[in-house]
Amino acid sequence: MKIRHVLVSILGMSLLIGGCAQPPADQINAAEQAVKDAQQSGAATYVANDYAKVEGLLAAMKTEVAEQDGKFALLRDYGKAEQLAATAKAEAERVKADAAKKMEEAKFAATQAQQAAQTSVASTLALVAKAPAGKDRAALESIKADADALKASLNDVQMMLDKADYLGAQTKAKAIQDKADAVSHEIETALAKIGKGKTIAKKK
Amino acid sequence: MIPGFPYVTASRWCIGALALCGSLAACVQTVPPEMVEAIESLDRDLLQLRAAEVAPSEYAVFAHQWVTLRTRVEAEEDTIRWPWEPNDLEQALRDLQTEGAKTVARLTEQQATERHAAARQLAEVEDRSRIIATQVSAIDSRLILAEKPVETDLLLKQARAFYEQGRYDQSLLASDRASRYLAAQSAVLQRELGRYASPDRVAQWQKMARETIEWSKTHRTSAIIVSKAERTLTLYRSGQKVLSYPVRLGFNGIKEKRYQGDGATPEGRYRVAGKRGRGQTQYYRALLLDYPNQEDRRRFLNDRKKGNIPAFRDIGGQIEIHGVDNELMAQTLGCVMLENPQMAVLFERVDNGTPVTIVGALVEHNSVARALANLSPRRDEV
Repeated sequence: MKIRHVLVSILGMSLLIGGCAQPPADQINAAEQAVKDAQQSGAATYVANDYAKVEGLLAAMKTEVAEQDGKFALLRDYGKAEQLAATAKAEAERVKADAAKKMEEAKFAATQAQQAAQTSVASTLALVAKAPAGKDRAALESIKADADALKASLNDVQMMLDKADYLGAQTKAKAIQDKADAVSHEIETALAKIGKGKTIAKKK
Repeated sequence: MIPGFPYVTASRWCIGALALCGSLAACVQTVPPEMVEAIESLDRDLLQLRAAEVAPSEYAVFAHQWVTLRTRVEAEEDTIRWPWEPNDLEQALRDLQTEGAKTVARLTEQQATERHAAARQLAEVEDRSRIIATQVSAIDSRLILAEKPVETDLLLKQARAFYEQGRYDQSLLASDRASRYLAAQSAVLQRELGRYASPDRVAQWQKMARETIEWSKTHRTSAIIVSKAERTLTLYRSGQKVLSYPVRLGFNGIKEKRYQGDGATPEGRYRVAGKRGRGQTQYYRALLLDYPNQEDRRRFLNDRKKGNIPAFRDIGGQIEIHGVDNELMAQTLGCVMLENPQMAVLFERVDNGTPVTIVGALVEHNSVARALANLSPRRDEV
């Protein structure tokens, strides 16, 4: 009788201990939130490979949890899932930091390119103002039209920056700078040929 | 006591030790390290190929599997297996290696195809841009296109930059946009200058010129014909051609004049309304035309009514045939300009009331019509 009681007690204790094995909900939630934060910080764009691996860790964690969930309650062990959740969280945080750093670098490069383009366009516009009419008024008007178009294009760069399209903004700004420099060179060549320019008199 | 006991015991120990060594030698690691290295190498290749960007779902599958398997590899790093034990981890890694290699091969081929396509499209669009720029320059029609040439040029520069960065998809997008901008440029030129390629319109201009020459013949007097496409001014006397000079037009002269300040040179039948000699003009000598005539006014009012001309715009005037003031002021805003020596000759031979007919072109295959024909895409591009 005593032996039976002892066995029942041991079984009860085992069930109690086994029944306590629950998925690590807090760690899972924390890992999922960390991956979500990484995604929102632009990780999928700036560190796409690393982000894909973090998602892989999250998926592996979920698979492990599902596998344990499918087992008999007494045999469940969420230790590995917990470890995966911790790794996923840590990796997501690292990836988020890397993405932020890369995004900042891209933004800085785009802003630098924008400033260089603005300087070049301003210089071109200043040269246009003293450009000689020369024999070819059409050429002067063309240069003016080009300079005005370049000035207008600077707005596109700002719009790209506002939309966080830093790569697009950088290439566009560089293109504007190159074109503005080419136009300036054209005017400088004309000025060098004839000397000082003269303002254009209006006529109907 | 067993006879020869020490020898037997020693032999048994030796056999046991040999068996243990043999067993240990037959044991294997769970995963060969070179397999892990091969997959890591594939992952680096995929990184180089920007797999996560160009084939996100495919790379996601690879990355998920790799992460899962690597976790298992790390967990089983110290495990020693018997060679006959089933090893599903090694098999899974082998499958991943095969799939990864296939993805690398496919993406490498895809990248080569994209690079080729981007290079070809970029070269074609750049080539077409040069052709259009040359034609536009040949007929002084750059201003008709407003900001479009610069926008196209910027897109082409961006496409070139993306190509050099290995972003072939972005390069293709930018050059495709540039191509559409070029098509828009062609459309604008066809719309604005298409009349130069219209046989009916050219026939009208030829008729106007014939009638002017006929008038000169009938009245035994002078008459002037200006052809904008040919950039020539021809003086007739009693129906006979007396002289022909090259001219420059307004800065937007190839267009049909619509309002003040548009830089266009008007087309129509005019007369010399006044002669301005030394001291009366800043352009050496000038023959003032009676622009706007009745037809010009009618067209202007009609266009304004339709909203094609802004309300603040005036019809303009003071259209002249004039000389050059000096090198720096050699300009015109819609007039017809000659070199001073030629202007001097013309000035002496023309009186007030002399008919001046300004036409777009006198021949069907004029310079503008030829330029427009060259703007059409080649047959192999269609």
